[in-house]
Amino acid sequence: MSEAEKIRVLLAKPGLDGHDRGVKVVALAIRNAGMEVIYMGRHKTPKEIVEAAIQEDANVVGLSNLSGSYRELFPKVVRLLKKNGLENVKVIGGGIILDEDIPALEKLGIKIFPVGSRTDEIIKHIRKSASN
Amino acid sequence: MGKRIADSEAYKNWERSIKSNASAYDKDGRTFKTESGIPMKALYTPDDLDAIGFKYEKDLGYPGFFPSTRGITPGMYRENLVRLKQYVGYGSPEETNALYKYLIAQGQNAISIAYDLPTQSGYDSDDPKVEGEVGKIGVPVCSLKDWEFVTEGIDLEKIMVNSVCNAQASVAMAWHIATAEKRGIKEKNLKGLVQNDILKEFIARGNYVFPPEPSMRLVADMIVYAAKNVPNYVPMYICPYHIREAGSNAVQEIAFGLCHGIAYIEEALHRGLHIDDIAPRITCLITGRHRDFLEEICKFRAIRRMWARIMKERFGAKDPRSYRLSMWDYEGGIGFTPDQHEINMARASIAALVGALGGVQDIGLCTVDEALGTPSEKSLTLALRTAQIVAYETGVTHTVDPLAGSYFVEYLTHELEIRANEYIKKVDELGGMVKAVEKGYPQREILKSAYEYQMAEEKGERIVIAGNKFVSEKKEKTRGFYKPQPKMVQKHIMNLKQLREKRDNARVETALAKLKKVAEKPARNENNLMPPIIEAVKSYATVGEIMGAFREIFGEYQEVTGL
Repeated sequence: MSEAEKIRVLLAKPGLDGHDRGVKVVALAIRNAGMEVIYMGRHKTPKEIVEAAIQEDANVVGLSNLSGSYRELFPKVVRLLKKNGLENVKVIGGGIILDEDIPALEKLGIKIFPVGSRTDEIIKHIRKSASN
Repeated sequence: MGKRIADSEAYKNWERSIKSNASAYDKDGRTFKTESGIPMKALYTPDDLDAIGFKYEKDLGYPGFFPSTRGITPGMYRENLVRLKQYVGYGSPEETNALYKYLIAQGQNAISIAYDLPTQSGYDSDDPKVEGEVGKIGVPVCSLKDWEFVTEGIDLEKIMVNSVCNAQASVAMAWHIATAEKRGIKEKNLKGLVQNDILKEFIARGNYVFPPEPSMRLVADMIVYAAKNVPNYVPMYICPYHIREAGSNAVQEIAFGLCHGIAYIEEALHRGLHIDDIAPRITCLITGRHRDFLEEICKFRAIRRMWARIMKERFGAKDPRSYRLSMWDYEGGIGFTPDQHEINMARASIAALVGALGGVQDIGLCTVDEALGTPSEKSLTLALRTAQIVAYETGVTHTVDPLAGSYFVEYLTHELEIRANEYIKKVDELGGMVKAVEKGYPQREILKSAYEYQMAEEKGERIVIAGNKFVSEKKEKTRGFYKPQPKMVQKHIMNLKQLREKRDNARVETALAKLKKVAEKPARNENNLMPPIIEAVKSYATVGEIMGAFREIFGEYQEVTGL
């Protein structure tokens, strides 16, 4: 994508988890870094998230989960994106993610930013991966 | 008024000597300020108390008496030592019951039930909508049978059982009442609590189901039912805690927490209750953090005084019990670091001290590894022992409100009250908290603070040990988290399916039909939803069926996601 085009980032909370402090702070930080941010809110199903990614023409999908259901829900979003031909959409994930689960998620192409991550690192990663 | 300290030669001498060091003097309060942004001077003197018009009788008085600044009972911890209460639950009703029995044997004297997210959202464990969530972060409770299981062998008259749930709080209260009845406990003797602060779900915690209006109806129904039938039961407690964990500062935590209380009280007053029937039944869950130790202690003193003044001056309360806000403080996970997680124990011990010095009634602490996963039995025990050391070994509990009279503590307590009152005024101008929430006002204020907090950490303006300073190179492995055992979850779901077959399904149908019929009627005392909910619960209707019936009538809340 060209430099002038704004990177479009779709953020959502899959599952029933309500903790949205992290995802909203990340949303503000990404927006302040000059990207387009669409925040869907809580309690979204993988299907709703992928439909929104298509609708919004997102370059990046960011998922936040602090209740442990990321093990099922993050891979499901990736599978649905692929099924809909959106292999180019990059996926990032955040929240309380156990160390031991990170390799499997990253193998699926999900870059994980667990609690304690810096927003500038997330922004750097998005810029780099969206330009690939 | 006596001579000002600031006019004395000695004071001027001191001031000259510190002024020469600009960074220590920090005239504008840029470097030295509380987490709420209140500038701190290097030194406080009696002049500062004169400046705020501090008067002992008016501002402090005596513990157990208006305005409750010093505490809610005359002898405080001499009469009732601080209770230790951890929020926990996981896996299946069976595992959770065993865990509670273990914690009680370790000296915990109250139970706080963590329900899993499907339960809190009003879904049964086998609902396809709840994939991946059953038994995580809490225990699945689908019916009265599960609740009986969770509390099996636990004396409901001795152990204070607290249900942490909000959208389906009415169902949890019904489980509690129905179980007590089966065990022969009279309604008027029943003790216990249910969280039920639904407004904070909209602005902070996120586990809402229905829109604000029917949600407020359920709260009022529960308060009215409790006042008339289970007078010793706490049908709701305000939760400044979640507002703070969602990113607010201490001033906003006090203010929005109290605004929620005001909204519930007004709702219950509309139902014809007197303020003195309502206020004594409301308690409070609040953060108690290691960070900004002094502001946290002053926060407890300020909110206690504000509660008393609001009850007396705004609502005309006359019963002294209405002036006493009982508090459960919790060191939340926000201040904890995932790296070098063992140092979180040091943070937790300071937090427990904050609670004891601030005069709270119950203390709970996040475990050292809570920033990483669902805690193990071992880390839960460590948290409990940490609080026990403060309660039994430090001696700070021997005298009431030991920091009272400190120039800075009294100044800061006053300043927090002034600033929080400004927020309450703003919310009143917006038409009350329900309107303010619908407009997204508190949500925006909280997010603004959360963002500033994060940026201050990333810039290194706010130091976090093992976060942005003194980070160890060596990364430690963490082990021993609780993980749901698929076998136990399967067994729980099988029990649920069996229950649906074995129960009297005609009775269930009748109870659910009655529930819907009452829910369709206007919110009034004659249409109180608690009796039909209790009947539905006793028929072994599931949480998914009861909440599903309400979903049909009340609809679901759609989040306002504006950033």
